[in-house]
Amino acid sequence: MIASLQRIRLIAANTFLEAVRQKFFSALLLISVGLIFSASFFQQFDFGTNELKFIIDFGFGAIFFFGSILAIAVMAQLFFNEIDSRTALTLLSKPVHRSEFLIGKFVGTQFLLLIFVFVLSLVLVAILFWRESILLSRFGNEARLDALLHYYDIFIFAGVQWVRFCVIGAFTLLICSFAKTYVYTLVTSLFVLIVCQLQYIAHEMYAQMDIGPVRLLVQLVSWTFPNFQLFNVGDQLVLVGSSSLSNAAIIHIIGYGCIYVITYIFLAYNNFRRREI
Amino acid sequence: MFSLCNSCPIVSKIRTVIIVTALLICTAFLSQPLETRVWQEVDSQQWRGTIKVVEDTLGQGLTVGILGGFRAILADLAWLQLSTVWANEDRVKLSAMIRLVTTLDPRPEFFWINAARMVAYDVPAWRIRKSGGYNALSDIQKSAIDEEQASQAFEILKRGINFHPNTARLPMEIGQIYMNRLQNDALAAKWFYEASKFPDAPEFVVRIYAELLRRQGKLVEAYKYLTQIYPSLINASDYQQSLVLERIQMLEIDLNIMKENRFQATY
Amino acid sequence: MNDTAIQIKGITKDFISGFRGVKLRAIEDIHLEVANNEIYGLLGPNGSGKSTTIKIVLGLLRASKGTCHIYGQPSHAMSVRKSIGYLPEAPYFHSYLSGYELVRYYARICGLDRKIVNQRVDDSIELVGMQEAKNRLVGTYSKGMLQRIGLAQALVHDPKLVILDEPTAGVDPMGAEAVADIIRTLKDRGKTVLICSHLLGQIEDLCDRVAILHRGQLIRSGRVDDLLQQTDRESYIVKNFNADGRVAMKKVIEEQGGRLTNIEKPRRSLNELFLKEVELSESTHLKKGNKETK
Repeated sequence: MIASLQRIRLIAANTFLEAVRQKFFSALLLISVGLIFSASFFQQFDFGTNELKFIIDFGFGAIFFFGSILAIAVMAQLFFNEIDSRTALTLLSKPVHRSEFLIGKFVGTQFLLLIFVFVLSLVLVAILFWRESILLSRFGNEARLDALLHYYDIFIFAGVQWVRFCVIGAFTLLICSFAKTYVYTLVTSLFVLIVCQLQYIAHEMYAQMDIGPVRLLVQLVSWTFPNFQLFNVGDQLVLVGSSSLSNAAIIHIIGYGCIYVITYIFLAYNNFRRREI
Repeated sequence: MFSLCNSCPIVSKIRTVIIVTALLICTAFLSQPLETRVWQEVDSQQWRGTIKVVEDTLGQGLTVGILGGFRAILADLAWLQLSTVWANEDRVKLSAMIRLVTTLDPRPEFFWINAARMVAYDVPAWRIRKSGGYNALSDIQKSAIDEEQASQAFEILKRGINFHPNTARLPMEIGQIYMNRLQNDALAAKWFYEASKFPDAPEFVVRIYAELLRRQGKLVEAYKYLTQIYPSLINASDYQQSLVLERIQMLEIDLNIMKENRFQATY
Repeated sequence: MNDTAIQIKGITKDFISGFRGVKLRAIEDIHLEVANNEIYGLLGPNGSGKSTTIKIVLGLLRASKGTCHIYGQPSHAMSVRKSIGYLPEAPYFHSYLSGYELVRYYARICGLDRKIVNQRVDDSIELVGMQEAKNRLVGTYSKGMLQRIGLAQALVHDPKLVILDEPTAGVDPMGAEAVADIIRTLKDRGKTVLICSHLLGQIEDLCDRVAILHRGQLIRSGRVDDLLQQTDRESYIVKNFNADGRVAMKKVIEEQGGRLTNIEKPRRSLNELFLKEVELSESTHLKKGNKETK
């Protein structure tokens, strides 16, 4: 068991090293940081959201959008790099179980995303703190109290987003396990991401439908994909004045994500153990 | 027979798909208690697009917004587009754009209030102009148009109240439409009274409510209301205090209240 | 101790392609035994099934029929892989690691203890002659160096069985000779080596036994000498022989019932010539350099 964990750690560390050296990661990180910085500029277009809310919306948007792209692209790229360049062949000819290979790849990639999410949250907090100080010094007591934020909860929200990226990474790994090409994996994973984001609609649809084959199909869709709207809790967590989210709810969201991560990795292993390399 | 099926790739692939789907459904059942518990807490507070809005936004290339990011900036850009539609006096497109903007980002009160004003005040003018002008339509026809547009504006504002239940601005806007557009003092009074209950209600709301009661001939109610509200205005501006006191005194004259029974200001 | 390193009994491998399930037979009914401390060559043209056989031996593929055992254990058992070192064909490694880091990574993957890992990495790098370049990034290595660092990673955990897939393909004759030397050293150290190649000349002198695969079938196997020797013929290499002697010799042969079929001057192989010339040039270059330094 310890030897197995050790191998997973080594594969994860190597995967992380490979991922962090990719230009794609640096480019995406820079774009995201730049976008959060530019939130104050884009605020010129705003029609009524207060400035801090606007920056938060922008920051959360950048974390979700670029994080999702990164979770899919990096996972698929690193997996197919190993297969296509046949480094997987060398690795799997050693005393390495295929499940250890997959888990190592997954952990390495998710560690990269953890850093991505943390850096963006840090930048977001810094900008919010800066703008809030300016607003407070400019308006003093007149500054609306509901404009103030729970800074600590930005990191909790970032953690919740990271759990979502873990689920995204896990289903990408599942697709990698049977897909033949990188492009197929990328397209299919993006499609699955959209379905997961809109899964709640299937919920609402079948609740209103008559019993029949179409309802069964819609129900099947809502059952087979996780509900990603569950992770959109930024406003509730961060804005003072919104009805805040209980700790139990946060733990439930994390638990919900973990169940899907475990299932997807298990299914990925089930496919991959029979794959000819 | 079984081994034959095993070696057949179609059978094997179908079997894999069935197993994967079955396992995912099992996972859904396993995670359902967690989902249900969190959804109760998250659902009411969360932005979610309806199928209609999803279709609209996908059509307009706003997939990113639908997917959960950059909603504020996308809603703002959509509002700019809405302004063009408004300038072109295209009322059908205007309704669709209002729905899109307010669904993409329901957080700014600005969207709800200004959208309602466009629908209640501008659209009737366009419709009347298109039908030949104010002189070409009868008063009944004109008021029918006003009623129809006002009810659309109310629908927008009531949707807005669901997202902003703790502000005076939206109920006050409904009151203003009743008062200015429909000349319905009774319903206007009802909504100004609702607005007056919120801490962010402007000072004039109280006075307008009393005035609307007076206009309806409810002088006693107006007098009672103002005398009851006056002590709570201790922290209000001098201007507000003196105006309310002045209204009270005017109503005392109208109601012929004896001097010794008249209201005594405590501050 | 088990005397048989690899025991393959009647393995067949079918690949199923397409949705309709068309079967492609890569190898058919292969029987093979590799003894302990033997250098065994698996020869054959491209597409003959060598790599498929190797993947089955490594447990990366499962045979459709038949069995494959390594030191008495099924080849797909993970524990077996501790006793196998594998160098893939045209190896590619993570280019951002140095040679040392790469070998160390695989050493740790194989579960070598932290206390001995550095020593083992140094030893295997020394064995393949890569000490000077060990701190350079793998991405900057030549093909020959890649092959050698690949060998180092295959040997770092001191496996009993070493499997080399086309170890000299794309490598210059000097590099190939260096690899051959390493293989001989491995045999001296008691290892079993299975070489898979289509460059017959390069492994002819190296292998104890060979098997020839063609279209997925084993068409010939045995000791190299047994397979190559023409037992009904003999050759004599004579120095300073004149024309009279040649006539007399021919007469004697015919008197004894033999027949002289061919007279030719013995030739060195081009490979031998190349190695000798390069060696000579290298030593001259070295002497010149020493003089200049003085």
